[in-house]
Amino acid sequence: MSTPRFRSVIVLAAVMVLAVGVLGAVGCMPKAATTSSSSSTPVKGGTLSYYIGEPAAIDPYNAQETEGVQVVHQLFRSLTDFDDYDATKLVPAAASTWTVNADATVWTFHLNPADKFSDGNTVTAQDFIYAWNRIANPNTVNTATKKADPSQISYHLAFVRGTDDYGNAPKGISGLKALDANTLQVTLKAPFAEFDYVVAHPGLAPVEKSLVEGGVDYNGSKVAFGEMPVGNGPFKMSQPWKHNQYIKVVASDTYYGAKPYLAGVNFMEYKDPDTAYLAFQSGALDFSQIGTGKIKDAESKYGDSADGYTSNPGKQVLLGAENSVYYLLINNKISVLNNLKFREALSLAINRQAICDTIFQGSRQPADNIVPPGIAGYQPGAWQYAKYDVAAAEKALADAGYPGGKGAPQITLAYNADGGHQPIMELVQADLTKIGLKVKLNPFADFPTYLKALTAKNFMVGRLGWVADYPIIDDFMNPLFRTTSSNNYFVFPNKTFDAEIDAARKMTDPTQRLAAYQALDKQIGDQVPVIPLMFYKHHHVVSSRVHNFIFSSMYLADLSKCWISK
Amino acid sequence: MGRYIARRIAQFIPVFLGVTLILFFITTVLPGDPVAVRAGTKPLSPAVYKSLRHAYGLDKPWYVQYVDYLGSLSPVRYSPKSGLRFPGPDLGVSISYGRPVIAMFEETFPYTAELAFAAIAVEIVIGIGVGIVAAVKQFSIWDTFATLSTSILVALPVFWLGVMLQYLFGILLQQWTGGIFYLPIAGASGPPFADWQYLILPAVTLASVSTAYAARIMRSQLLEVGGQDYVRTAQAKGLSPSAVLWGHEMKNALIPVVTFIGLDLGAMLSGAILTETVFNWPGIGNMIYQAIGRRDYPVIFGGVSLILFIVLVVNLLVDISYAFLDPRIRLGSKVEG
Repeated sequence: MSTPRFRSVIVLAAVMVLAVGVLGAVGCMPKAATTSSSSSTPVKGGTLSYYIGEPAAIDPYNAQETEGVQVVHQLFRSLTDFDDYDATKLVPAAASTWTVNADATVWTFHLNPADKFSDGNTVTAQDFIYAWNRIANPNTVNTATKKADPSQISYHLAFVRGTDDYGNAPKGISGLKALDANTLQVTLKAPFAEFDYVVAHPGLAPVEKSLVEGGVDYNGSKVAFGEMPVGNGPFKMSQPWKHNQYIKVVASDTYYGAKPYLAGVNFMEYKDPDTAYLAFQSGALDFSQIGTGKIKDAESKYGDSADGYTSNPGKQVLLGAENSVYYLLINNKISVLNNLKFREALSLAINRQAICDTIFQGSRQPADNIVPPGIAGYQPGAWQYAKYDVAAAEKALADAGYPGGKGAPQITLAYNADGGHQPIMELVQADLTKIGLKVKLNPFADFPTYLKALTAKNFMVGRLGWVADYPIIDDFMNPLFRTTSSNNYFVFPNKTFDAEIDAARKMTDPTQRLAAYQALDKQIGDQVPVIPLMFYKHHHVVSSRVHNFIFSSMYLADLSKCWISK
Repeated sequence: MGRYIARRIAQFIPVFLGVTLILFFITTVLPGDPVAVRAGTKPLSPAVYKSLRHAYGLDKPWYVQYVDYLGSLSPVRYSPKSGLRFPGPDLGVSISYGRPVIAMFEETFPYTAELAFAAIAVEIVIGIGVGIVAAVKQFSIWDTFATLSTSILVALPVFWLGVMLQYLFGILLQQWTGGIFYLPIAGASGPPFADWQYLILPAVTLASVSTAYAARIMRSQLLEVGGQDYVRTAQAKGLSPSAVLWGHEMKNALIPVVTFIGLDLGAMLSGAILTETVFNWPGIGNMIYQAIGRRDYPVIFGGVSLILFIVLVVNLLVDISYAFLDPRIRLGSKVEG
C-alpha cells in the first residue's frame, strides 16, 4: 500500500514526464536532414538563410552601413564591381568598358546594353544621373513621408565637378553628362586616377525615377521604393521589407550576368549575433557571425576555409582580413602628445597580439600599418612604431624627456562604454602603465556622447574604427589625414601630406601611383599621428550544404555564385 | 463607479504631461546629436546636417519641440484650409530610418502584446496554480517542491535562462531526437514551424521570474487569509473545503496577486528588452532601446507615450478589479461616518 507522500511523488514524476512530452510534441518535424553532396557540380535551386542586422536603408541612395550595403549589392550593380576573389581588382558591372583621359579628370563609362532592371526596363545613363543627383541633393525628400531625407553618402560624389566638398549639389551635378543612352561621361574637379574604384560602391547604383517617385507595384498596390527597391542586380525582392524580421529576395531573370544558382535568399534579421549563432547551430541559418568566444570551437566543428573568404563543405569558417582598422586617436593639440618621441613610446608599448588573443581569440589581428592587408599596396610593418617593443618604448619615453614616465602628465583613454571597448582599453592602460605612465580610463556613456566629445576635441587618447569604402590606400590617407577631413579628429595638420595625396591622385600609371601612395603611407606612419591597433577579420561560418560561398575582404558576399547541395 | 473611472481618466492628463515633460527635458539635454549619429564616422555634409535638423524640428528650442510633440499626439487636426480632420495621432518620422513612427509601432507592438499575454497566461495558470497547491498542501512534498523551484527561478538571470532553453530545446533536443522534435529558438515566424511555436520559449522565459513571485504571493496570501475569522465562520457553517477556498479565501487572497500580475502586464506590454534580444523577437522593447542609443527622439517619445498610456490603463483596470474581488472595497464612494 502506498503512502500519500509516495503517491505524490509518483504524480509529480508523471506530471514532469507529461510536461517533457508536451514540449516535445509541440516541436515539429523539420525538413529531412540534408547530406552535403561531395560533387562540385553546381546545383540549381534552394533558398539560403543569411544572417543580417536590421539595415538603416536598402535603397542605394542611403546605403551606408554594412548591412544595407550587403542587401543593395544583391539587388543592384554599380558601374564597376570589386573582384570577388581579389577585391583590389575591378571587374566590369553595369559598365562593360570605361576610359579615362590623360590627366584623369574625364571618365567615360560605356554601359552594358544587356543591363536591365528587374522590371524589364533597360538601364540608361540617365538612370545613373538621376540616382547620383538624388544622392547629391541635400534636400532630397522621402517620397513616402514627404519629409526631407537627404542621402548621407554624398561624399562619394565629392570628386565630381559641380559638387561641394561633401558632394552636395542642390541644383544638380554639372559634371555628369549622358553622351547617349548607353554612355555616361563624368568630369571630375581634380584628377583622380582611381575614380573607377569609387563608382563600384553599391550606393552609386542606378535607380528608375518613375519608381522612386511613384512607388513600386506589389499585389496591385503601390509600395514605397525604399521598402521594395527595384534594381539591376542578380536578385530582386519578392515582397516588401518585413522590418525587424526579414528581407526576401529571389533570383532575377533580367540580370545581365550569369544567373544565380540559388532560387532565393532570405536575409534574416537578428538583433544579437550570439542568438544568430545559436540559430545557425539549430539549422535555421546558412550564414552567421560566430558567437562570442566560440571561434576555436567553430573551427574544430566546421573546419577552416582554405583562403578565409570562400566556404565549401568541411571548410566553413571564414577568418579572412577585412578592409577595416581599429586605431587609437591622439589629440595632437595637447602639448605632451605633440611630442613625436612620446607618441612613439605609446605606440611601441602596446601588446597588440595579447589584445587580439585574449579578447578576440583570433578574430582580429595586430595592425602594423593603418592600411589593412586586403588593400592593394599594403606593406607589412610600414608603420615602424606599430609593433610591441617595450625596451624601445622605454627608450623613446626617455628621449621624449620623461625617463621611466617621470614628469609625464596623466594620460586619459577615452572610449564609448556601449561598444565593448572597455576590455581593450584596460589592456592598453596596463601596457602603458608598465612603461611608467599614469593612465586613467575615460568612458563616455554611449557613441553619441563620445562622438560629441571627439568633435569638441575633448579627449587625450581615444579610439575609433575605419572601414574602407574602396579597397585603395587613398581611402585611408585622404579621409583620415587630410588637414580638412572631418575624420581628422586627432588634429594632425600637415599640408605636405595634402599636397602628396593630390600628387598621387593624378598619376594614371598604376605602378607609379601605388609607389607614391606606399611612400606616403610610410611617411605618415613615421609621424605616429594615430596608433593602429588591430585589423578586423571575418568571424563568420557557413552551413555545410552551401558550396562556393564568397565573402570578400570588402565585406560583400557574392551570392550569385554559390549553390546549395540537394 | 462611473464617476470614479471618469476621475481616474481625467488624472491621466496631468500624469501624462508631467512624465513626458520631464522626460523630454532630460532627453533633449543628453549629449549626442541624432543626425551626427546617423552619419557615424563618415563625413557629414553641413548642408545635409542643416536640412535634416530642420526637417525634424531639431533647430527649434526644446519647449517648442515639446509643444510640437504634444500636437503630434492629438488625433484631431485643424487647419483653416481643410477644416477639422481626424487622422489619428501622427508621432512623426524616425530620424534613423526615415519611416513613420506609427508604422514602426504597428509592426512591432502586436508582437509585444502577443508575447506579454502569452507570458501572463503562463504566470496566471502556473503561478496561481502552484501557489494554491502549495498553500492547500502546506508542508507537503508539493509545497517543498514549489518553494524550492520558485527560489531557483527567481535567482536565475532571464538572459541565462533564455540561452539555456534555446540550447536545450533548439539544439540538444534536435540532436537527441535525430531532428524530429525541437523548438524554434529565434524569430517570430517562418517554416518549418507554426507561428505559435515561436512563442513558447520566449513566453516561458519572460514569465519565469514573475511566475515564481506570483506563486509565492498566492501561497502566503492564502495561508494568511486562511486564519481569518470569516474563513473560520465559513468552515463552521459546514461548507466544503473547496467551497471555502473558491468562494471565500480566493477572492481576498487574489488582490495582491492581481495587483502584481497587473503591474507585470503593464511592464511586459512596455517591451521586454532582454527576452526580445535573446529570442530575436520583433517587439517594441528592443526598438525603443536602440532608439535611445541613436537619439532617435520621435521613436523614443512615441514609445514613451504608448507605454505611459498602456501602464495608466492597466493600472486603472487593476484598481477596478478590486471592487469585484473584495466587496468591502467600494471605488469612488464617500466614506460614511
